[in-house]
Amino acid sequence: MKFHYVLAFGTSLCLASVGTEAQVLNRLKQKVENKTEQKAGEEIDKLFGGKKKQSDSQSGQSGQGGSGQQGGQGGSSGGSNPSNKGGGGLISTPPDVNQNLIDAEAAYKKNSYGEARYSVQQAMLGVELQIGNKIIKSLPESVVGLNKEAESDQVTSTGWGWAGLTIHREYSDKNDKQFSVTISNNSILMAGVNAYLSGGYAQQTNGEQNWKQTKVKGYRAVIEYSEGSGYTLSVPIGQSSIIVYEGINFASEQEMMKSAEVINIDAIKKELGEQ
Amino acid sequence: MKKFNLILLFLASGLVTLAQDFDKNVATAKSTYASGNLQDSRFAMEQALRDLDMAIGKEILKVLPAKLGSLAAVEKEDNVTGSGSYVGLYVNRHYGADPKRGSIEIINNSPMINSLNAILSMPVIGGMMRDENQKMVKIQGYKSILNKQVNSDTGKTNYELQIPMNNTLVTLKIDDTNEGEITAAANAIPLAKIVQMAQ
Repeated sequence: MKFHYVLAFGTSLCLASVGTEAQVLNRLKQKVENKTEQKAGEEIDKLFGGKKKQSDSQSGQSGQGGSGQQGGQGGSSGGSNPSNKGGGGLISTPPDVNQNLIDAEAAYKKNSYGEARYSVQQAMLGVELQIGNKIIKSLPESVVGLNKEAESDQVTSTGWGWAGLTIHREYSDKNDKQFSVTISNNSILMAGVNAYLSGGYAQQTNGEQNWKQTKVKGYRAVIEYSEGSGYTLSVPIGQSSIIVYEGINFASEQEMMKSAEVINIDAIKKELGEQ
Repeated sequence: MKKFNLILLFLASGLVTLAQDFDKNVATAKSTYASGNLQDSRFAMEQALRDLDMAIGKEILKVLPAKLGSLAAVEKEDNVTGSGSYVGLYVNRHYGADPKRGSIEIINNSPMINSLNAILSMPVIGGMMRDENQKMVKIQGYKSILNKQVNSDTGKTNYELQIPMNNTLVTLKIDDTNEGEITAAANAIPLAKIVQMAQ
């Protein structure tokens, strides 16, 4: 029995030492390879850098910074650019609305209108992000059995007013069924949907029906279907906002409509200040 | 002298109204934000942006030349608009009278800026789109596009010069002119100052 233990211990030691040897050998091999690659890279850089310099001096009239810069870069980097291995990223703090409004007033008093405009835009960005965050928090945790994908939550604002505010949330079954809600304020999409709704396009009664008018919670809407992207339901609300629902791998139009009904449009409309 | 004083008074009263509007809108933005009424706060900020665009536009008008080549400015037709949104700032001044007119137009965030910059920065696209009536020129160091339009009825040649600068587009138009006159007129416009004010 003891003999078995000794044997097992010996075998494991051998294996470990073989493993370590192999690791050491691999590292050595890698180092040699790296050095060879680096040297080869340097030689190639020298060769091309030299040739470029030669051709530049031969033509003598390049006048463009591009080729000179490339030569310089090649020479300094030696063909191996460092890759970023980590960092704190950016701190996503919304702009301080009050401070920006105070800055705007001060800049205006000094006749620095450009600075004042920048500050007002920042303040607007701050307010829009707050409105967006309030709306996204008010959306349901799940829609017809699909749970929210918290990491895909998105509130975007340009602070410019025109492409205003976009709020996006996705729900999924972690498989291939997905439902997403995108709310846009001051959206250019409005024009397209309103063209459908105002009767600019004829609705087909025969053949393949790709879109039709419908109603969601009393709001006029347009529903579209495509084999590639599934269902898209667009609901304009108020003067300048739109909610777009997208359903991938939904069984039917009814299922899509039922999912859209879960979202409280009136609350979103109120939050956006739409009439 | 009396007339001059009256004009000064009129201009000053305009600026005072503008300043009052801006102050009022910022005050509303602050108070509505403090009370948690974010929508009204945002609306007040949009109005404040509009006021600022108007103020910037009026400042720009002050630095525009009194003459465009041989054409005198028609100041009563001066136009400044601030939408506070998509096309933020719009300044327009007319010069001369029929049959020879000219104009300077300054637009911030113009939808045309991207396509013009594409033509100017990518020679391949510029080359594909180039026709005999269009050429690239440099005005005070800014790459610009010069368009020539021959009026088939009158046989006269009109020129248009588009100067994209960051997100500001300056467009200069002169009827019945030549390349030399329009480039000389463009060189008399303080472009760097305008772009600094408009940003």
